[in-house]
Amino acid sequence: MPQSASVSTFRDTNSARDLLVSLFRRNETVLLLCLVVLIAYFSFASGSFFTVRNITNVLGQASLAMIAGIGVGVLIIAGEIDVSIGSLAGAVAIPLVVIMNHGGSLELGIAGALALALLVGAINGYLAAYLGINSLIVTLGSMFVIRGGIYLYTGQKAIPDKQGLESFYQIGNGRLFGTVPYPALVALALLIGFMYLMRHRPFGRKIYAVGGNPEVARLAGFNVKRIKFLCFIISALLAGIAGILLSSRLGSAVHVAGLGFEFQVVAAVVLGGVSLAGGVGSLFGVALGVLILSFLSNGLGMLNLATEWQLVTTGAIIIAAVGFDEMKRRRQ
Amino acid sequence: MPADLTMSAPIATSYAGPALEMTGIGKRFPGVLALENVDLTLEPGKVHALMGENGAGKSTLIKILAGVYQKDAGSMRIGGAETAFKTPRDALRQGVKVVFQEIALISEFTVAENIFLEEYPTDAVGSIRWTTIRKDAAALFERIGFGVDPAAKVGNLPVSQQQMVEIARALAHRARIVVMDEPTSSLTPKEVDLLFAVIRRLTGLGIAVLYVTHKLDEVFEIADTVTVLRDGRHISTKPIAAHSHDSLIQDMIGRRIENLFPRSRGPARGETILSVEGLSTSKLKDIAFEAKAGEVLGFFGLMGAGRTELAKAIVGFDPIRTGRITIGGKRLAPHDTRTGVSLGIGLLTEDRKSEGLMLELPVLQNTSLAALGNFARSGFVDEGSERSAVQEFVDRFRVKTPSLNQPIKNLSGGNQQKVLLARWLMRGLKVIVVDEPTRGIDVGAKSEIFALIDRLAGEGLAVVMMTSEMPELLGLSDRIAVMAEGRITKILNRDEATQEAILNAAIG
Repeated sequence: MPQSASVSTFRDTNSARDLLVSLFRRNETVLLLCLVVLIAYFSFASGSFFTVRNITNVLGQASLAMIAGIGVGVLIIAGEIDVSIGSLAGAVAIPLVVIMNHGGSLELGIAGALALALLVGAINGYLAAYLGINSLIVTLGSMFVIRGGIYLYTGQKAIPDKQGLESFYQIGNGRLFGTVPYPALVALALLIGFMYLMRHRPFGRKIYAVGGNPEVARLAGFNVKRIKFLCFIISALLAGIAGILLSSRLGSAVHVAGLGFEFQVVAAVVLGGVSLAGGVGSLFGVALGVLILSFLSNGLGMLNLATEWQLVTTGAIIIAAVGFDEMKRRRQ
Repeated sequence: MPADLTMSAPIATSYAGPALEMTGIGKRFPGVLALENVDLTLEPGKVHALMGENGAGKSTLIKILAGVYQKDAGSMRIGGAETAFKTPRDALRQGVKVVFQEIALISEFTVAENIFLEEYPTDAVGSIRWTTIRKDAAALFERIGFGVDPAAKVGNLPVSQQQMVEIARALAHRARIVVMDEPTSSLTPKEVDLLFAVIRRLTGLGIAVLYVTHKLDEVFEIADTVTVLRDGRHISTKPIAAHSHDSLIQDMIGRRIENLFPRSRGPARGETILSVEGLSTSKLKDIAFEAKAGEVLGFFGLMGAGRTELAKAIVGFDPIRTGRITIGGKRLAPHDTRTGVSLGIGLLTEDRKSEGLMLELPVLQNTSLAALGNFARSGFVDEGSERSAVQEFVDRFRVKTPSLNQPIKNLSGGNQQKVLLARWLMRGLKVIVVDEPTRGIDVGAKSEIFALIDRLAGEGLAVVMMTSEMPELLGLSDRIAVMAEGRITKILNRDEATQEAILNAAIG
């Protein structure tokens, strides 16, 4: 082959125009732009939107979905899904609050909560990854089982936190320097950690490979089942963390906590550009998806749009965004 | 596998003999002897072509080399040492890389990342060294002269470049033997030239190349030695200079095939039912032919000739670019199976499992599917008349099933095929297109399917049969259309069709 052929097909990445074009092809750039436009619009439309108080409030609320979204994002990239996270986020509050009510420390309560999450993740992962049962079915099933278990244990009532530990209140409601909510810091730390994992650790790349083409991954010698299993564990643990923070915000173990949370999270993940087919998407995109939905809901509320219409708007935006993305992909 | 890409040459060995020696290789599948006593020797730095008709055993042999299948008999030596592969990883570890037609790359990853998929280079804390990956991949490509951008996403590359990435991946793993399975089947002539340049580079590095194909011209251009297989047996191994086109074809075909399928019907004298003019799609070019009532029109072509594409285009399953398809004088709306079915054309697909059958459903529903309208009584299916109609066909076609309620997945391939035929005939067809009607069906059931096709033509249907099997083509067809690279190269009458004439037209 002539040497010139190899030179001519190389992309000239030095050109600023090409760089811009490739930047705008990136899903994340478009999402970031949408977020900026959204915030700008609401800032003009409502005087109380762009205030430190409101923005940090939204960040605090968004962080729970972001924490769980990271886990679900990882799992969807691996080609599986987990819709039991809402029930699980509700369920972990029970060991947490019960342990504290029996005189246990916050740390012990958290350990109990995470142990429950680990157990659920392992069961989901074993059934889906090792026994090969469709993960939507498995986790849909465990979503009902867990919720049923919560109702059975609590008798459909909230279990109040009787000990009233300050530290328990602080993890969900406290703010660093009185401004940045702790849950937002947790979400940020997890986001950075998992972005690093997915981009710079062989394990993260294997997750993409397994979701993108399991057959090729198997031929390359990856343990596909084990990788998927571990992704179920990740998803469950992060849902557990979200559940702990939620419980702190509610000040108790509420039997209906986390109802519908799973679909909010899946919607944000998909809006963030993660393909349900697996192997495609980024956690940065997931974070942007969560922020867009959170600011949207907050902003529409400030414009006094009825909750009913907020739901309709949010749903339409998700379909439009994913549809747009799909059409863009097909054109390429 | 070390990620040392500064080495462009394969692992140096002191061993001076052949890169690979396979002797007496045998492989048996239930009911079939796929390979019997096959020998193959690959020399370093040489291109060895492996030829044979469909079903000659080429694929089985290379799957053994790839570690996908395990041999039942014979010995395999690499660099003089006896070996056997249990998994594809084993083959790769011992320096054998098979580039299959289906590309095994992660399409969302970059070219460079795909090359290091098996083992990412990492630093002290276990982070991936992306710069190393980019630099080493670029250096590797520069050295072997591949015109592929290491930063490009594999999914955005044409197949030819994806193939090169696979070859580069082989070199990164220091493969000593590279096997290419029909590598040119989806390449343009220009890309074929590029591929040949790459192959010459490989041999220049002392790598042994096994080139699997049935395209004669390519073999004469690139190969040093040719081995021909036929019916799972080793026929000949000769230097290419000792072969002519005719002698190679002779080796591939061997004996004359007897007419195994006596026909009951006389010559077709019906009127034209199906007519296709100027049909082109992304894969087909300017196809024109007619099929008469009561005739079997056979279509032959080697892999990638476009038979399945043609079958799907004329029944309206796939979109077409230009062309006109008429059935019984009425024009078929392109890319619309509904009008196709109502005009009376049906397709028996090549892939029964994924495109024909609803595996979990019983024989009853699978048979009546296309004709449900016949049994509708005010919007509901009248199961009584459905059952009796299906039973009639099941009896007529001698479908072996314990009952109509039996899930179709429990039936043999031959009986499944009969159900699919019945499905279309219940609808009252004028034209039936059958694509590889006997694929995966055992010999006994084959002749039953042949008899059925013969009878359908005898009853006045036009049968368009796509096949890659010479015996059924010659045995059943009234006329034979030969395809190569998306065109009809020749239409032969029954009396002028010989294997040589057909194969010559198929090679194009």
